[in-house]
Amino acid sequence: MNEFCHQIAAILEVESIAEADLFDNIPEWDSLSNLSVIAMIDSTYGVNLTAAQVREAGTPAGLWKLVQALKKS
Amino acid sequence: MNFVFHDKTISGLLLVVPANEKSFMDEMANFNFPAARSLKLAQVMGYDTHRLVDGQTCVSDLAVLGMEHLFAKDYLKREEVDALLLVTQTPDHLIPPTSSVIQGRLGLKQDMLCMDINQGCAGFVVGLIEAFVLLEQDSIRKVVLINADVLSRKVSPKDRNSYPLVGDAASVTVVERRASGESIHANLKMDGRMREALMIPAGGMRMPSNSETAQMEDAGDSNFRAKDHLRMDGSAVFNFVQTEVPPLIETLLETTGVTKEAIDFYLCHQPNQFMLQKLADKMGIPYAKMPMNVVGKYGNSSGVTIPSAIALNLSSSLKKSSLQVVLAGFGVGLTWASMLLKIGPLDFCETIDLPNKANLP
Repeated sequence: MNEFCHQIAAILEVESIAEADLFDNIPEWDSLSNLSVIAMIDSTYGVNLTAAQVREAGTPAGLWKLVQALKKS
Repeated sequence: MNFVFHDKTISGLLLVVPANEKSFMDEMANFNFPAARSLKLAQVMGYDTHRLVDGQTCVSDLAVLGMEHLFAKDYLKREEVDALLLVTQTPDHLIPPTSSVIQGRLGLKQDMLCMDINQGCAGFVVGLIEAFVLLEQDSIRKVVLINADVLSRKVSPKDRNSYPLVGDAASVTVVERRASGESIHANLKMDGRMREALMIPAGGMRMPSNSETAQMEDAGDSNFRAKDHLRMDGSAVFNFVQTEVPPLIETLLETTGVTKEAIDFYLCHQPNQFMLQKLADKMGIPYAKMPMNVVGKYGNSSGVTIPSAIALNLSSSLKKSSLQVVLAGFGVGLTWASMLLKIGPLDFCETIDLPNKANLP
């Protein structure tokens, strides 16, 4: 989870991001960040998400839960 | 769906681009986004310059300039054109076919076939498949495949999703029979359920263009476009490419028993650098074997991007030698198609510029 937050922070080029931070409240968050997160999750965790799924997940914690659930299935 | 063709070849290729060059840096102010984020976008996507027509230029203007160049250089004779296939999504008119416009403007013979094909980013592979099919006929010795689009005229300048990447261009590919003993393999898939991922909603019979469809609307993501404009669900297209294209190419290679390493170049459609890097990563292909520089130099010209990648990167080697390549196009429809073939040595492989306002009828 910690590593996952680091990976998202690296994409946004911010120092850190907390599990419960809402993506929509981060000024750097936009459609490019969304796409970059999709690509990172695909290459690192082998899970292919849509932009809508990332938006709905809302936070790093929500996204992590989704990735874990889809990884198992 | 699989295809196999025998004793057919590409004998020459010409790229025509508008001389009018625009840069992302200059256009950034049109977008409703912070400059820092737009710069980041340009860096990730590989946006820099792109070539756009001046606003009046049509597909037939680009195509006629290219064809006249081939006649003038004696790369092709007027009477040799037995079929003219035009792949475009931006025809001069709804009626007649733009291939007929080109035939008429060039004064080609009556004893030939002209046909428009409405295809986009897979349009080079689809066009080659059609050309090879026509060459099965004894009466057809040479097919001229023209891929051409002026999509900049249908993209909103305030749409950061599409405008920075779009480019206008035409390519002329001469395809003919050649008894080489070589086979060309291709595979293709289509899914019309995803037809709205890339579309221009208005302008056809379902929603004719009027003053209302010309109104700019807030798309809800800081982009503005009208119903007359191209609309692209970039994220859905990205997912589609990452999911469908690697297995398409891998199946083509498995079917033909050719290893990934034996391919000299993977010449893919050029949506943007980001998508191509992710595709290369997923397939384990070194970046050096997959050109990605078209979008940052000429822009994404839909069906013309694979010929652009060839002309931009391989023209000198293809004049002398033969390369084993995989072509892959993917986009509107949705359509995705790949082809394995040997290409070169070519009789010609050049790029010419269309000056502003030149060649209007």
